[in-house]
Amino acid sequence: MKKYSVLIAVFAVVLAAVFITSCATTSEVSAAKSGAQLWGENCLRCHNTPSPATFSDPEWDAAVLHMRVRANLTDDEAVKVAEFLKSAN
Amino acid sequence: MKKLIYRLGLLLFVVSPVWLRAQDADQSLQVQSTLDQQLAQVPQELQPDDNKPGLSRFLLRGYAHSGLEVTDEEFSFVGGSFNPILVFRQSDRLLFESELEFEFEDGELEIGLEYADMSYILTKGLTLRVGKFLTPFGKFIPDLHPAWINKFPTKPLGAGHDGILPTADIGAELRGGAYLGNMKTNYSFYVVNGPQLNDGSVDAEEGGMLHYGLFPDNSKQKSFGTRIGIFPFSNSSLELGFSAQTGKVGAKETKYEDVGATLYGVDLSFVKNVTGLSSVIDLKGQYAVAQVDDVEYPEPENPTETHTFDNKSTAWFAQLSIRPAFVDSKLIQNLELAGRYSSFKTPEGAPWEVDQSQFEIGLNYWIDWRTVFKFSYRAISGGEEDHHGGEEAEEGMTNAFFIHWAIGF
Repeated sequence: MKKYSVLIAVFAVVLAAVFITSCATTSEVSAAKSGAQLWGENCLRCHNTPSPATFSDPEWDAAVLHMRVRANLTDDEAVKVAEFLKSAN
Repeated sequence: MKKLIYRLGLLLFVVSPVWLRAQDADQSLQVQSTLDQQLAQVPQELQPDDNKPGLSRFLLRGYAHSGLEVTDEEFSFVGGSFNPILVFRQSDRLLFESELEFEFEDGELEIGLEYADMSYILTKGLTLRVGKFLTPFGKFIPDLHPAWINKFPTKPLGAGHDGILPTADIGAELRGGAYLGNMKTNYSFYVVNGPQLNDGSVDAEEGGMLHYGLFPDNSKQKSFGTRIGIFPFSNSSLELGFSAQTGKVGAKETKYEDVGATLYGVDLSFVKNVTGLSSVIDLKGQYAVAQVDDVEYPEPENPTETHTFDNKSTAWFAQLSIRPAFVDSKLIQNLELAGRYSSFKTPEGAPWEVDQSQFEIGLNYWIDWRTVFKFSYRAISGGEEDHHGGEEAEEGMTNAFFIHWAIGF
């Protein structure tokens, strides 16, 4: 029974992963949003928004990848936010 | 004549360093120009790369906080803590992160590893994370606990290292974000060592408690969990989260090895610029339950006998803050008013029974986007049951006034 439970759990995770992979990482709504808008919406949910002038480009790359994982940003959102933040340098 | 010689000498004394410095600057420019010419002749693949590991892919972030606590009996500086976060971006897909904690508590330096994990971007919407990571259960621990983000110097009841909810654990996780139509979602599925059941064999007073983040694991059984977040509004102002975690928690080869624990909870985040108030309002809430299978534990006053209870604990909080960020006055822009109510109940009849609530109100002043001074008052009601007909407040948990500063760096 324990082995079946583990197998069912593993199967559920794989199924979820397949389902998620088939989901879109962008939508009409998100495609219309600018990097500045995504930066405001996603950062402000937890903390104040940093100025784009805070870091250098390579540092923004590291910070955005960090926050992409932490805040569950999609690839398109992360790319737009990074481009906006680096535009100040 | 003497005066003229003196003035000429003084002039020479003042002018000569400037002249010499100008000479040095000319020479420096010539050297720089020569180096640039030589560098231009070096093949492209041999030229210095600004993105070399260890130079620019590394980011040292973190936060620190400290403050003053005033109670009826105490007036002391508290909470000295320094939490460096080390981030290393190995490539576009691979990231390492860890957070250390240096804290001065009870007169001693405590060093802790909050998390240390590796993330690999599998697809545009899916990331694999392995190692010790913040458990994605609820909202407060994974997102709001850092001192420069937390609106108060304290945590809501039931959250944190001594609460009923997971903080960090070792395991593997699939997480990411995606759109279902036009609705944003985020998700996490994880398997971790899980909490461990205190069976009361060493300390009967703690029989039935769950302990998190212990290593090594007490059995081969793992805990599985998930958190799903949805954003019903297109501006992502509202997030609703649903969390669950289940697994066996008893130690192997004991009568508790088949005891399971299930945690579940809901959380809410609503952040919105309200034009009419010229302010940003921020509403957060979380409700969580920890349910452990019924089992008998040693009686604290006579360990040869046993007792049992419905091992169900609940913890919840609601928090509202408002910051008039869009008014003209710079002083008022930086002020933030916050209030939070939290409640914590552990099982009735357990030796560690608690029925407590906490109300906090605070005024924060933001020096900049990551530096804040917090002035807050905490009122506690209820406490630990002493099983002799009364209640006693948990040690260190009394009404108090706090002045804290916190900085994220």
